[in-house]
Amino acid sequence: MIMAIVKKELLQLRRDPRLMGLIIVMPLVLMILFAVALKLEPNNVKMAYLDEDQSFFSNLIKTGLWSDGYFQMYEVPSREAIIEEIRSGRAQSGMYIAKDFSALLTENKQPHVQLYVDGTMPSLTTAMKYNSSAATDAEVTNDMYFLDEDAPNTVIAEDPFIMDTEILFNPDEKETWFFLPGVIGVLIMQIALILTGITIVREREQHTLEQLFVTPISKASFIIGKLLPYVVITLIDFYVILGVGWLFFDLPQPSSHFLLFALASIYVAVMISLGLLISLISQTQQQAMFVAIFIIVPSILLSGFIFPIEAIPSSVRVISYLLPFTYFVEIIRGLLVKKTLLVDLLYAYGALLAFVVVFVAGSILKFKRTL
Amino acid sequence: MIQAVDLVKSFSGVRRVDGVSLDIKQGEIFGLLGPNAAGKTTVIRMLCGIMQADSGSVSINNTSIEKAKREFGYVAQYFGQYGELSVWENLHFYAEMYGIDDEEHLEGLLKRYQLEQFRDVDAGALSGGYKRRLALVCALAHDPKVLFLDEPTAGIDPVTRKLLWDDFYALSAEGKTLFVTTHYMEEASRCHQLAFIAEGKMIAQGTPKSIKDALGDVVVYTYKQNYSPEVTKAIQGVDGVILTNQFGDDLHIVTEQGLRQASLEGVISGVTREPVALHITDPDLEDVFIALTQGDVS
Repeated sequence: MIMAIVKKELLQLRRDPRLMGLIIVMPLVLMILFAVALKLEPNNVKMAYLDEDQSFFSNLIKTGLWSDGYFQMYEVPSREAIIEEIRSGRAQSGMYIAKDFSALLTENKQPHVQLYVDGTMPSLTTAMKYNSSAATDAEVTNDMYFLDEDAPNTVIAEDPFIMDTEILFNPDEKETWFFLPGVIGVLIMQIALILTGITIVREREQHTLEQLFVTPISKASFIIGKLLPYVVITLIDFYVILGVGWLFFDLPQPSSHFLLFALASIYVAVMISLGLLISLISQTQQQAMFVAIFIIVPSILLSGFIFPIEAIPSSVRVISYLLPFTYFVEIIRGLLVKKTLLVDLLYAYGALLAFVVVFVAGSILKFKRTL
Repeated sequence: MIQAVDLVKSFSGVRRVDGVSLDIKQGEIFGLLGPNAAGKTTVIRMLCGIMQADSGSVSINNTSIEKAKREFGYVAQYFGQYGELSVWENLHFYAEMYGIDDEEHLEGLLKRYQLEQFRDVDAGALSGGYKRRLALVCALAHDPKVLFLDEPTAGIDPVTRKLLWDDFYALSAEGKTLFVTTHYMEEASRCHQLAFIAEGKMIAQGTPKSIKDALGDVVVYTYKQNYSPEVTKAIQGVDGVILTNQFGDDLHIVTEQGLRQASLEGVISGVTREPVALHITDPDLEDVFIALTQGDVS
């Protein structure tokens, strides 16, 4: 009898080619994607630097870092600009070499080189500490030891200069600051995609859609009416989750409550409209759930939420930029932890808005008032 | 009132509805009769505008179906109301879809269909018969001029079926036009006008009487005997027998005019080894239906 049930289940699965496709293709695609993409250690980390010394010695440090291939370095005009570059997300790290670097070096006074790292990105800090050691390699420092002819017996310090690393925005390296902002987005994505993902396909399966289609309701009224309650519910959910983060998990306050609300509204709209599109392209609730998972899992892994985007090979990184969650993570970290200026987040807000437009347009095109 | 011209619909390259045309007058109960998979539901869906015809046109009162949405109500073959909502919430919802907020009218509908007692019961918890009534009530919420009913009494007990049909007559008397699909012969004979559809093609159209006449010059005999496959087989082998059709203890034998009663009786008694007396009777709609779907009558 068990075999009869097993056989029936397998037959049913076989009769749903779309679902079968999803069952076979989804794990394959995700497996290959993650095998290629997931690396804990970032490379091509952008570094904004200012070298006020512009000497042979400061060049040695820069060349040391550069030749390692880990950093993509570019110069900025001021020390403040380094931090702003990191705050805006254009760079993930920074370096400052003061004007008196070579002077202090030649006097054996152990000058400091200041490194900065974006503390909102998990694993970047550790990786940064490890990789910046290229600047203190023997190849770089060999030429940096000086003997004072007047005092030949002076003990020369082991390291000719000292690398200081300042962890920006999250100096205590709080893990909740890394992850909690993104967790809000993951939860909202799950709630919204699954709530709306099945909303229309369920009406189709239960034959209520057929009954609705004969009424004079317009396409737009139907879609708006279907989505509005979910938008409100999900928005409330957003603030409930956020509130718990603030109350119990030491989540920082945003730089602007208005911008946070704007983010919440746009992000919820993205996810709800994506859910709607899923509901329209799926023929059964089961298919809709699968498609939702197909979007949720890569979103978690490829968005920079857990693994830095810089660790993802550029060929796969395209997918990261096609995931709305990537922009959400960027904005929410910017607002809550880094206090990024709006101007530097505008592109991410713009990207989220573009997703809303694309998903709504897709839904309108896909939605037909006939069976 | 309702006009359909040359409706064609194919699914996966197979023509399911092939050139169906209809002309239905106001106040008529129009029955679309056909075996399963004949294309009845596809036709009714195209008439309601919820399925796009590949070609052909539909109009209600000379208005396109899209513009005539307020003019008709539709009861689908499957229960299409919201099981989680109460009877009243369902009715109110459908009324609101048409901008109707006349509570008195809606209460009146509940009363008319004996649904007041279930006013606050979840629709999903209703029995099959009451679910049908609710579907009908929801379709009537906006007081439409036309009602499309897709197998409205399928799976319904005879008492409820009779109640519903009494009501269909009442609605028709109120001037409403009813379009009903069915495969119940007894229901078909209650319609003012009938159309027979088989394999997507219209094979007969007219009043139940005129459709019975479509059998042409035939004689229908009744043979009172329990079902016997040997007898049926022997009769079917006789030249001039169009078809046989068992009704409980009665076997209807539809034959051409020229076949002699005595020779038919002789064939039967040859099998039963008893004297046999056949009686001439009126053709039943089912005889016509089977003959038409078998293609014996054109």
